[in-house]
Order: sequence, then C-alpha cells, then structure tokens
Amino acid sequence: MKRKHINIILVILALAIVFIIGKDFIGNKAGKNMDNPYKLDVDQFKKIDSTTVLYNEIKTFQVNDSSPKGIAVAGKQILVLTEKQLIRYDYSGKELSRFELPDTANCIAPVTKDQIWIGMLHSVASFDANGKLLTRWKNFDENSVITSLAVSGKTVYVADAGNRIVYQCNTNGEILSKIGEKNEQKGVPGYIIPSPCFDLALDDNGFLWVANTGRHSLENYNHDGSLRTAWGESSVKIDGFIGCCNPAQFAILPDNSFVTAEKGIPRIKLYDQHGVLQGIVAAPQLFDNGWYAPDLAIDVNQRILALDFDRKQVRIFEKNVNGNK
Amino acid sequence: MQDNSEPKNIERRRFIRNGMQLALAGTLVGVAALSVKKTRASGMVWQIDPFKCVQCGRCATECVRMPSAVKCVHAYNLCGYCDLCGGYLKPDPNARSTAAENQLCPTAAIQRRFIEDPFYEYVIDENLCIGCAKCVAGCTSFGNGSLHLQIRHNLCKNCNECAIARVCPAEAISRIPADKPYQIKGGFRKTPAKDKG
Ligand code: SF4
Ligand code: SF4
Ligand code: SF4
Repeated sequence: MKRKHINIILVILALAIVFIIGKDFIGNKAGKNMDNPYKLDVDQFKKIDSTTVLYNEIKTFQVNDSSPKGIAVAGKQILVLTEKQLIRYDYSGKELSRFELPDTANCIAPVTKDQIWIGMLHSVASFDANGKLLTRWKNFDENSVITSLAVSGKTVYVADAGNRIVYQCNTNGEILSKIGEKNEQKGVPGYIIPSPCFDLALDDNGFLWVANTGRHSLENYNHDGSLRTAWGESSVKIDGFIGCCNPAQFAILPDNSFVTAEKGIPRIKLYDQHGVLQGIVAAPQLFDNGWYAPDLAIDVNQRILALDFDRKQVRIFEKNVNGNK
Repeated sequence: MQDNSEPKNIERRRFIRNGMQLALAGTLVGVAALSVKKTRASGMVWQIDPFKCVQCGRCATECVRMPSAVKCVHAYNLCGYCDLCGGYLKPDPNARSTAAENQLCPTAAIQRRFIEDPFYEYVIDENLCIGCAKCVAGCTSFGNGSLHLQIRHNLCKNCNECAIARVCPAEAISRIPADKPYQIKGGFRKTPAKDKG
C-alpha cells in the first residue's frame, strides 16, 4: 500500500514536470516569434529591379586564409592579400604560391609592371613578382591607417584614413604633397572619414579619384591638389549612397566608368564616368551582411573581381545580356 | 521441505518496478537540481551580448520593469560622429535636423549635439530610452555599430529567470560574472575579432 502511494506521488510529480516544461517550451517558442512593434525595416532598401542587374557571378572560390584584406589582378593571376601573406591564385581558384609579409598588411595597389605595392599599418612596401622586398618606407605616424594605394609611373598615392589625408609620394617614399586638406580657395571640402573606409584610384588619364565616404562622394583632383570635379549623392535610393561611409570601395574601368561597393546595404553598382548609375553588378541579396564592403579589382577582360570578407571568397562578375545591350 | 523462493517472473517484475522507481526519483532530483542551478546563480547578473543581438524589440516589451531595464549605450570610440547618423535619423530624412519627424527614436531619447564642422555627438537620455533597439538597428545597418543595448544593473531586478532572455530569438542574453557586469562594444569583442576596415 505504502509503495503504491509512493508510485502515485512520483507519477503525479513527473506529469507536473512534463506539463511545466511543455508550457515553458511552447511559451518560449511563441515569445520568440512575436512581431516587433519597433522594427526598422532595412530590407525595403535592399529591393532591386532585376532588369537593372548587368552582371552575373561566373566564378567563386574560397580564400585559404582567415583574414583576407585586399585583391588585385596580375595578368592571368589573382592576388589576394591577407594580414600576413600574399597569395597567388589562377582563375580556377588553384593556389599557385604565397609569400610572407614583413608586417600586418591592409591594402594592395592595382599591379603595374610586376611590382606589387602593399600598404601596411604604418608603412608602405613594394615587392617584385617573386616576393622579394624592393622598398619599404616607414614615414607615417602612429595615427596612420593606410587603406588604399595607387601607383602611376614614379608617383604613389597613399590614402591614410587615420589622418584623413592622401599623400602624393615618389617611389622613395618622400611626401611630395598632401591632397584633400580642407581648402576653400582650391574648392576642397576636406575628407570626412568615419571609419577605415577610404579608397582611391586613378582614372585612364592618370587623374586621382578619392572616396570622401562621409560626404558620399567621389572626388577628382588635379595634380596640384585642387578639386577638378566630384559626384555622388546621399540617398536611400538605388542611385545614391547611404550609411556612414560609402562608397567604401571603388574601382575604375578602362572607359572611366566606376564600380562602387557599399557597406551597410551591401551592393556593387556601376556608374558611368559622370556618376550616372548604369545598373547593378551584385545585388544586396548576394551578400550575408553589410559589415564590410568587398574590395574590388578589374581584370583585362573588364570582369569585376570582388573579395567578400564575410564569406572569405573571391567572386568574379561578368557582364550579362542586360549589361551588353 | 518447503520451497520459500518466489517464482522467477515475480522477482523480475519487482526488479523492474524498483528500477523504474529509482530512475523516476533520480530524474526528479536531477531536474530539481538543474532548476535550482539555473535560477540561483549567485555572483552572476544578466547581460546582453551586443554582437548576438538582432534588434528584435523584445527588450522593450518583455522586461518586468516598465520601462525596461535595458537601455541603449553608446561606444563613443566606435562612433563616426556623422552628420548623417543612421541611428539618429530615419533612413530617408527630409533634413539632417533635430525635427521630430526626422528622428528614428520613438521616444526622442537621443540628443544630437554639434561639436565642430562636420561632427555631431549622439548622447542617450536613459530616462527616455525604452530599450527598443530601433536606433541600434539603424546604427548597425548604416553606421559603425556604436549604439548597442545593455541591461542597466541599477534598474535590473536580477530576476531568477530574465523575462527577456526567455524570448530573445538570438539567445543574446545570459548570466555573466557580477564583477564584470557589462559587455560594452569596443572593449568587449566578438570572437574571432574582425578588423577589416
Ligand atoms: S531580446 Fe535579444 S535580440 Fe531582442 S533586442 Fe533584446 S537582446 Fe536584442
Ligand atoms: S531608439 Fe529605442 S533603444 Fe534607441 S535610444 Fe530610442 S528608445 Fe532607446
Ligand atoms: S550611425 Fe552609429 S556610428 Fe554613425 S554617427 Fe550614428 S551613432 Fe555614430
């Protein structure tokens, strides 16, 4: 009789526990699916018209490193810069070689004449095709964050996001001039760089373009540092730039049209040489999140190579039927 | 001679019954111990991992305190001090001004202060903040992610089971040691660290 009572009590307790756990489980599940009365609908800004997509992704491969930093093209090879190494791939994604870097790297210039220029944290270095160090200058201060480089003949342009300035240097590292300091007489508004997104590139005529990301504009400079022209608009609309620091990355095609990559709402777009939107290269839906805008490079066939920092992939885009119209 | 031994099948039945009773009692004791462990974590407090938070709004609606013990905090060292602040302004504002129709915060809890051209500082008035995470969503989507939510321990009752943690879809809320009660962005990092600018 006594044992029977114990059994009944145990069974009742077990049922009570099952009931409480079940109720808790169902309650939590329902709670986790509630609507958000304070939702900020960011997805509405990610919608695009599919007829405006001008490129298709034709090839993707994984980078064999956990900290990719930049991408460049050297003939038939793709160079991927990582924090500590430079890796060469062929277009199938096969790794061909890699070499160690002397310091933490941050950016790579488009490759000219087999000389590879790399921006480190506070220094700039150049290497030959085999990874032999040719030059290294350490003349930047501790506030410097070198985010982009471009080379034209004996001139090296260095974007320093930390000091919000572009240095025009010779190949020995002497600073010849500073470009972009606020100067009303030269029509220079000054850079607003809220985060280490500060890209630059040279157009076909050798003129410098700089992304003034806090102003959402691309600015074009004469060789004396005066402002030639600028374009770009702050807007959530597809032809504008939104967020604190966009376009975070850009590259210039041989016909002087622009490819821009944005963070926040991640997307890659194509603009003509006057800054008029031509269409979409890669829609926001192709990216996981908008923490980092992909670094960009253009190859000889005018394909667009994007280094996706989230997926750690090289993604290659080629013009589609819409793009070839 | 009398045979006192019980038939074998009765012995087996008793053995199974005793086993079941033991297992059931053991389970009950285990569940009770687990619940006690879960609800009594001395020296621990509830806190939000800002890197897991998906800005679902539950922190404003589910906290037993009204308004919520969750508040927006600002990691100034991460902020861009932008004029076009994604945490302060609606995504498509009429103007970059303090006009109420341009503000994202439903309670106007963020103050915008001009510092010097072109920089603005954004300060949270915790008395007005309800922890809705709308500004966090804006700053995360369009800015540097410097705005984020934290449970304020001067307001939190340190409930045995946090009402928000129960329903947080990102499981962003957990108990952490009371001697390090905050997980402020900037000092506290997501692992593995991501540093690409
Ligand atoms: S419930 Fe979780 S995901 Fe939602 S706002 Fe709070 S911490 Fe963020
Ligand atoms: S938007 Fe929400 S979380 Fe941000 S300050 Fe306003 S009330 Fe607080
Ligand atoms: S969006 Fe965020 S990072 Fe940018 S200014 Fe506003 S609060 Fe600062």
